[in-house]
Amino acid sequence: MARMKFLCDADRCIDCNACVTACKNENEVPWGINRRRVVTINDGKPGERSVSMACMHCTDAPCASVCPVKCIYPTEDGIVLHNKDQCIGCGYCFYACPFGAPQYPQVGNFGSRGKMDKCTYCAGGGGPEAPGSAEEYAKYGSNRFGEGKLPMCAEMCSTKSLLAGDGDIIAQLYEERVEKRGYGSGAWGWTTAYHEDVKS
Amino acid sequence: MTAFARIRTAALLLMLFGLTAAPALAQKLGPDGAPNPTASVTNQKTLLERAPRIQGRIDIPDVKASVLMQPMGRTWDYFHEVLLHWGGAAVIVGTVAILALAYLVMGRLRIEAGRSGQTIVRFKAFERFAHWLTAVSFVLLGLTGLNITFGKILLRPLVGPDLFSDISEIAKYVHNFTSFAFVTGLALITVLFFRDNIFRRVDIDWVKQGGGFIKSKHAPAGRFNLGEKMVYWLSVGAGIAVSASGFVLLFPFYGTNIADMQIAQVAHAIIAVLFIALILGHIYIGTLGMEGAFEAMGTGEVDINWAREHHDRWLAEKLEAEGRRASATPAE
Amino acid sequence: MLIRKSERRPERAKPSSAKPSSTESGIPSSGLDRRTFLKRSGVTAGALVAVGEIALHGVRKAEAGPPPPVGAPVTIRKNICTHCSVGCSVIAKVANGVWIGQEPDYDSPINRGSHCCKGAAVRDDVLNERRLRYPVKLVNGQWTRISWEKAIDEIGDKLLDIRQKSGPDSVYWLGSAKFTNEAAYLNRKLAAFWGTNNSDHQARICHSTTVTGVANTWGYGAMTNSYNDIRNAKTILLMGGNPAEAHPVSLQHILEGKELNRANMIVVDPRMTRTAAHATEYVRVRPGTHIATIYGMLWHIFENGWEDKEFLSQRVYGLDEVRKEIAKWPPKEVERVTGLPEAQVKHVAQLFATQKPATLIWAMGQTQFTTGTANVRASCLLLLATGNMGMPGAGANIFRGHTNVQGATDLGLDVTSLPLYYGLAEEAWRHWCRVWEVDYDWMKSRFPDKKLMETPGIPSTRWFDATLLPKNQISQPNPVQAMFIMGHGVNTITRMPEAVKGIEKLEMLVVCDPYPTAWSVLSERKNGTYLLPACTSFEMEGSRTNSNRSLQWGEKIVDPVFEAKNDYDTMYMLARKLGFADLMFKNIKVENGAVSAEDILREINRGGWSTGYCGQSPERLKAHMRNQHKFDLVTLRAPKDDPEVGGDYYGLPWPCWGTPEFKHPGTPILYNTNLPVKEGGGTFRARFGVERIVKRKVMENGQEVEREDHDNLLAEGSYSVGSEIKDGYPEFTLGVLKKLGWDKDLTAQEREAIARINPADPDKVSWSTDLSGGIQRVAIEHGCSPYGNAKARMIAWNLPDPVPVHREPIYTPRPDLVADYPTLPDAKQFRVPNIGFSVQKAAVDRAIAKQFPLILSSGRLVEYEGGGEETRSNKWLAELKQHMYVEINPADAAERGIVDGGWVWVTGAENSSRARMKALVTERVGKGVAWMPFHFSGWYEGNDLRAKYPAGTDPIVLGESVNTLTTYGYDPATGMQEPKATLCQIRAA
Repeated sequence: MARMKFLCDADRCIDCNACVTACKNENEVPWGINRRRVVTINDGKPGERSVSMACMHCTDAPCASVCPVKCIYPTEDGIVLHNKDQCIGCGYCFYACPFGAPQYPQVGNFGSRGKMDKCTYCAGGGGPEAPGSAEEYAKYGSNRFGEGKLPMCAEMCSTKSLLAGDGDIIAQLYEERVEKRGYGSGAWGWTTAYHEDVKS
Repeated sequence: MTAFARIRTAALLLMLFGLTAAPALAQKLGPDGAPNPTASVTNQKTLLERAPRIQGRIDIPDVKASVLMQPMGRTWDYFHEVLLHWGGAAVIVGTVAILALAYLVMGRLRIEAGRSGQTIVRFKAFERFAHWLTAVSFVLLGLTGLNITFGKILLRPLVGPDLFSDISEIAKYVHNFTSFAFVTGLALITVLFFRDNIFRRVDIDWVKQGGGFIKSKHAPAGRFNLGEKMVYWLSVGAGIAVSASGFVLLFPFYGTNIADMQIAQVAHAIIAVLFIALILGHIYIGTLGMEGAFEAMGTGEVDINWAREHHDRWLAEKLEAEGRRASATPAE
Repeated sequence: MLIRKSERRPERAKPSSAKPSSTESGIPSSGLDRRTFLKRSGVTAGALVAVGEIALHGVRKAEAGPPPPVGAPVTIRKNICTHCSVGCSVIAKVANGVWIGQEPDYDSPINRGSHCCKGAAVRDDVLNERRLRYPVKLVNGQWTRISWEKAIDEIGDKLLDIRQKSGPDSVYWLGSAKFTNEAAYLNRKLAAFWGTNNSDHQARICHSTTVTGVANTWGYGAMTNSYNDIRNAKTILLMGGNPAEAHPVSLQHILEGKELNRANMIVVDPRMTRTAAHATEYVRVRPGTHIATIYGMLWHIFENGWEDKEFLSQRVYGLDEVRKEIAKWPPKEVERVTGLPEAQVKHVAQLFATQKPATLIWAMGQTQFTTGTANVRASCLLLLATGNMGMPGAGANIFRGHTNVQGATDLGLDVTSLPLYYGLAEEAWRHWCRVWEVDYDWMKSRFPDKKLMETPGIPSTRWFDATLLPKNQISQPNPVQAMFIMGHGVNTITRMPEAVKGIEKLEMLVVCDPYPTAWSVLSERKNGTYLLPACTSFEMEGSRTNSNRSLQWGEKIVDPVFEAKNDYDTMYMLARKLGFADLMFKNIKVENGAVSAEDILREINRGGWSTGYCGQSPERLKAHMRNQHKFDLVTLRAPKDDPEVGGDYYGLPWPCWGTPEFKHPGTPILYNTNLPVKEGGGTFRARFGVERIVKRKVMENGQEVEREDHDNLLAEGSYSVGSEIKDGYPEFTLGVLKKLGWDKDLTAQEREAIARINPADPDKVSWSTDLSGGIQRVAIEHGCSPYGNAKARMIAWNLPDPVPVHREPIYTPRPDLVADYPTLPDAKQFRVPNIGFSVQKAAVDRAIAKQFPLILSSGRLVEYEGGGEETRSNKWLAELKQHMYVEINPADAAERGIVDGGWVWVTGAENSSRARMKALVTERVGKGVAWMPFHFSGWYEGNDLRAKYPAGTDPIVLGESVNTLTTYGYDPATGMQEPKATLCQIRAA
């Protein structure tokens, strides 16, 4: 069974933010909600690296584990989806997420949260809406996966830094790259997300 | 820029400088002494050895987004789903078990002399209001809090996911808003009962005399005995701690970061569980465990005999005061 | 240690009776459908991988994204991203006339599905609610809606009135690098028919110095290789470019090439940029010391014999004079001026000269200086000395800025030339009059006189000087009184405080743009200002030329929104009002006011011989877009046996010789002698004669005597594969063909056409004026480049500095060096005075560098483009950069008590200018250097101008413009401004 993952090759990432706007465009994500983001480490210094980050769709996803209403769950493809109808906006998934993925629209006073929003791997939502329906789109965004396509962020990555797809294949691609070029800063977040790492 | 934001920026800067000053950043140099960016050592392993989180620069005005990775989330998950579940269950179930055992062994503590039929005012209406405001909000907070932790195990299978979700969402709002009532009640209690809860010499005697649990001995006490004082001080302490940590969680990222909030949540959960255990004991002694105790907060008036047995010094003071007042009455 | 429940399946709240199994198995009901879909479509999830290595074309269905309204068919349209010169294909999904989503275009050999944040967000360029919806004009300071007809009527009347009283040169036509080729050409044609050479566009402030410098070296002023070809390089040297932010998708080719070849990637830049982060070596230089750095490298190259001696002797002219200049730059002097240690310069020089092929990449980090042209020429010297020209993996990879800045430059939106570099001489005018089928004398009558007709106009950098200076200082009848601007910002031009005065003095200001732009808010104008809503390039069809000279045809994705009009139709309306529409559109079909873009391109084809814009017919370009997937990623060539595009290079990169029927495949690499000309090869262009007569002093019999040398400018022993002439040769004319006996190969029609062009002396008709294409065809059939086979010029004797000379910026942080390296003397250039020398001297005398101790440089952000109105209005982009800022080194910040994210005031060295913005404290910039992005506007000297935009059209993000602070300084050869090196001071606000 294919296990979908993300892998950001930081030696290719140039902080161009294509993944960010591709996600916004494809899913009509509102202002203030950032399902994907690019963080630059050692900014302006030798060793500067940028990494594109979103929900990694973890193995044993901690968000799913801590969710008090169990509205987050992995699909058979390893994609972590959630049901917004059941989400109570408690914020626990944000405490648990190692990657800062869950986002909350600010509603009401004292920072109280609306329903959690996060990367869906462009695979629609985890609710009861029909796949590919307008209702599903309005709540969760696009369902590319249902049409045999991958997340828009990875598809549009300017330097093919952000890889998406079956974990074994993208790991292999990355390893081949590292072998060819002779360096690689590793698959960022993989040990935390998937309890495994790539050879580098 | 708000003050919070300023503090945060300053902290962030310090953190950044801290990170960058680390010698581990020594990058490889080319043959001519030029830095070689490709060959340098930026990878998650070394970064995570240096700090528990990997943080960088991000242009969107959302400071929390600049944290790239915080593997501590997994640790927090472990606390919440394993330690808290088992530990919390053990503490609460254990407390209930101990109280049940106490009831079975000791039974209900009776008023030894029987009811006198004469009562005396123990708590004034406003004092009772303060108590019940705190008590009701505590119960609501406790139940909704327990729901967040244990509801998915205990309640969800019974009512189904959708209804459970609706209940939990209401529970979340109840929890958030009741917190203000609780804090108000807590503040009133703290002030109203402060003077009578100051520790005194008599408390030592009370302990020596077995705290009223040994029927052959008489444990002397003022308005509040040492047991009650303990409940007071522990409740005030726990109440402040649980409120403070709760408000940190209620106002996310107001001067805090994700690590602060994780710590706050851990503190909130642990204190809350212990607090619940304490209050379970308090409820037991105030209701089932002792005859004549509940009236104090119910009607506000207790039987003289009950008072004599449990709060002799207070009764004496009270009667003396009333006597003075009584003697003054005929003049009217 | 983590204890996990095995139960990981979701529980469905409302089990659907139609799918009872879904709750049982715990799989979401939608999950079943997804998987069955995957199985049915034959795409197993395991094969799904979004990486460039796997071509997915053919199997992709473009339906994801927002679902279309029920029953609405989805159509797919392809256009080109408008935000830089890489030329990424954009696939649009359209339903019910609405652009509902984008898809990656894996077929394009240029971007292979990729985009940067701008390309991935272009849908909002069209859907944007902040666009100008209808024409408005200022009436007593209030924006008032008017109709298009009325607007054109009023504008036309005013233009004719100014023409009447002040002459046509008092109207300035400022065009755009975002035009399609056809619109750019039409805009230049409009200026010609109006009767002025005051027609310019963004190339002035972008690569005007490159075009001049490079064309004066080897013939054509463009990128010699391609983005894709960088994959062949062994050494990639970036000097003055930050493509990771300015051309992000090019990094796909650069980084993959770097990885596959284990190539050296060296970044020489004042800033540690996002590009430098991926370099194998980063060299921090002081802004404005490019020539010194290059000479420092050349010094080591010649010292160690690393130069390419064969290449130099066969294909290069003028080395001796250059070596005299190089001798002035021993390592010590290089270090004194640039600050670079000898070892570093030597190392970079060695890599570039010995690890070949090596390519040199640059952008505005070389061009935007008073020495811009000389900088670029110095780069050419390095390439020539090391023999890194005219072959795969080498060359001058000059990254242009806008979508079509290359095309707009080619098509003559330039004050010095008619379309396609024909110049302004009588012969050029006669050529274009023949193409346009108008009478030369009529055309001459449109101008005040023949002299002004042949005199370069005023560069866009100086429009306000030409407005404000007294009449006697401007070499045209009257100052500029009206600006007609189509798609050009005001905030990208330096010295904004003076531009503000200029705007206020204009009699009329017309801005035709999808957005109001800073032109509309900067001044206190109350009347005489018109804003016309132009559509974006996505709402019109036409071709665009990307940086590597490939032409791509864009389809109209949706009709122009609101009342927006496309550029063709707007110019047609205006031409009709001005009274020459019938002549101007003589051979261009116009139906109900809708102009045919294809016809314009065909007219370009008919006249574009000089630059090889003659073979790219609309039909061929459209065939290329249909067959994108057939072109090779590295060579850009399609298989020879393909019926539609067989053997073509993608986009028919110019020069694409001969008529479309001649089927020249285009030239992917300029001056490449390893290929026959017919297959895309070429030689250096014989543009500067066949010989040069130089008087040299030589020793003869112990006495110094002056000797007259006839230096051969033609190539010696070098020629392209298959050439029948095994040596250098001049450009082809009918006369040359006759001498070679090749004229008999001309057809009767070609002969007849040639005779018609110059009945008096047909022998003089050349490859570039022959409208039949016959001379080109015959030359190429004999394996020769139509333009000749010459040497590249190391010495360009027609430029102010024939051999590049280091000169300090006007506002230099090193006044001590000005005595040794002063800027060129004051002179009159482009109809206005250039007093750079006096300004530099005054700055030194007044110790400006003490008051303003920080170097101020500016550049580009990945999220925004150009003046930024469009991208700052785009909701997905604007969120990413919400404030204007200045980058400042932590040491400089600490000295000034400035914190990261805090507000600062930056003051400039002229006009008591000041600007308020946020500080970004970062080591990206070195100590003593401040850097700002140039895309912001809408704040001016601390004041927020948001309220001055027409209601609802204010961009989401506003900020101070860096050019409020920038200063005087113009390249004498092109009028290029100097925003890359000036001085400023910063203090906490």
